[in-house]
Amino acid sequence: MLAELPGIERIRKRFVDMLAERQTQIASHGLAAWDATTVEEIKGNLASAQAILHQIAGSAGSLGFEELGRMARNCETQIVEHLAGPTANRAECPIEIISELDGFVAKCRQEIDAHA
Amino acid sequence: MRILAVDDDPIILELLGQFVEIIGAHELTTAPSALHAVDMLGDPNLGPVDCFMLDIQMPGMDGIELAQHIRNSSRHADTPILMLTAMSDKRYIDGAFAAGATDYVTKPFEIAELKSRIGLVEGMVKERQQRTKKIFAAKTVADQATHMELFEPVPIYDVDNVIDYTAMENYVAQLSRSALFGSTAFAFAIREVDAFHATMTSFEFYSLVSDVAEILSDTLVDHQVLMSYAGNGTFVCVTESGWRPNMGGLMDAVNFELSQTELFDNYGERVYPRVSAGEAVRLIWKSGNSVMDALAQAHASAESASVAHTRSLNDFWQNDQQA
Repeated sequence: MLAELPGIERIRKRFVDMLAERQTQIASHGLAAWDATTVEEIKGNLASAQAILHQIAGSAGSLGFEELGRMARNCETQIVEHLAGPTANRAECPIEIISELDGFVAKCRQEIDAHA
Repeated sequence: MRILAVDDDPIILELLGQFVEIIGAHELTTAPSALHAVDMLGDPNLGPVDCFMLDIQMPGMDGIELAQHIRNSSRHADTPILMLTAMSDKRYIDGAFAAGATDYVTKPFEIAELKSRIGLVEGMVKERQQRTKKIFAAKTVADQATHMELFEPVPIYDVDNVIDYTAMENYVAQLSRSALFGSTAFAFAIREVDAFHATMTSFEFYSLVSDVAEILSDTLVDHQVLMSYAGNGTFVCVTESGWRPNMGGLMDAVNFELSQTELFDNYGERVYPRVSAGEAVRLIWKSGNSVMDALAQAHASAESASVAHTRSLNDFWQNDQQA
């Protein structure tokens, strides 16, 4: 059904082009959250990463990148739950989130390389 | 049908363009942010919009605020609004319906789902075009000749947490796909509503229903309840908050407020509406159609309570005369 869409290849290409920039942004927000020493910095960087993950999770599946979309959603859910949870006001970023983001960024690079 | 889609992700807007193109003869206009959409809606050259598709999470103004903005304009008071929701947006769904959303489409999109949702909206648009005059007649004092059917689930405007009946059905349908543990359906029916309907103009009857809606909304304000007018003087309500409503106590509270509110017909005669409450039906362990059945059960029980109340009064007077 997806293949029937006349402009789907053009949108997939645009998605991959944007993914290069988005994964860089996610990685830098993740690193900044990990290095941060204040609650505000950690929360701010995680929220910024979550907003980008949210966009990828919303469109990747429709473009045939189901695994990438699922991983984006998992990362996003972890961040949302952390920010709404009891440990959100600690000045430390959970290692589990950074680890999940690391796996996601690696997957992004695979997809970008595969479509280069 | 002309659709205005608002999303901060350009990929989503492009995808929607593709999907809408193959689904049918629709025209898609897009906006990259809610604030951009507000500007567009303020432009008199925009032309008519038959349906909105709004992303929920957007920077600046989010999709729920935008839905409220749209509903506050008389031009789009009942234009269908489809929310574009990702899995992580489920926590916002209640707020979206309360703000005036009609339904939602899940991201990532599936063509079949999108087609089905847009098809439903298209049917609503056609139906609403036919009854637009009737609705405006109910809202305009000057034209009271148009008839409003007793069983018609007319939309009630400008009352907090009161949503369109179609939106209520869609809301309940989404409940069936999520946790139902704390959800309860219940309903209130205006007693002897047929007598009010038979003796009032459409405007008077619409005003009466709106006034009762406002009092119900005020009474339920602390309990995260969405409600809808289902026609025949009956309001169906759903709470997801875990609250277990005491229907007898609520009915007394609503009727007390009604007794304290002076309501008049067009001749300046005071009217005395009162409501009966049905049973509270818990939605736990229900799914699919049985959730809809539970809503219908709550609805029917309120109407039965209203009929039983009227009958008991009649029996009382007949027995009194026989004594």
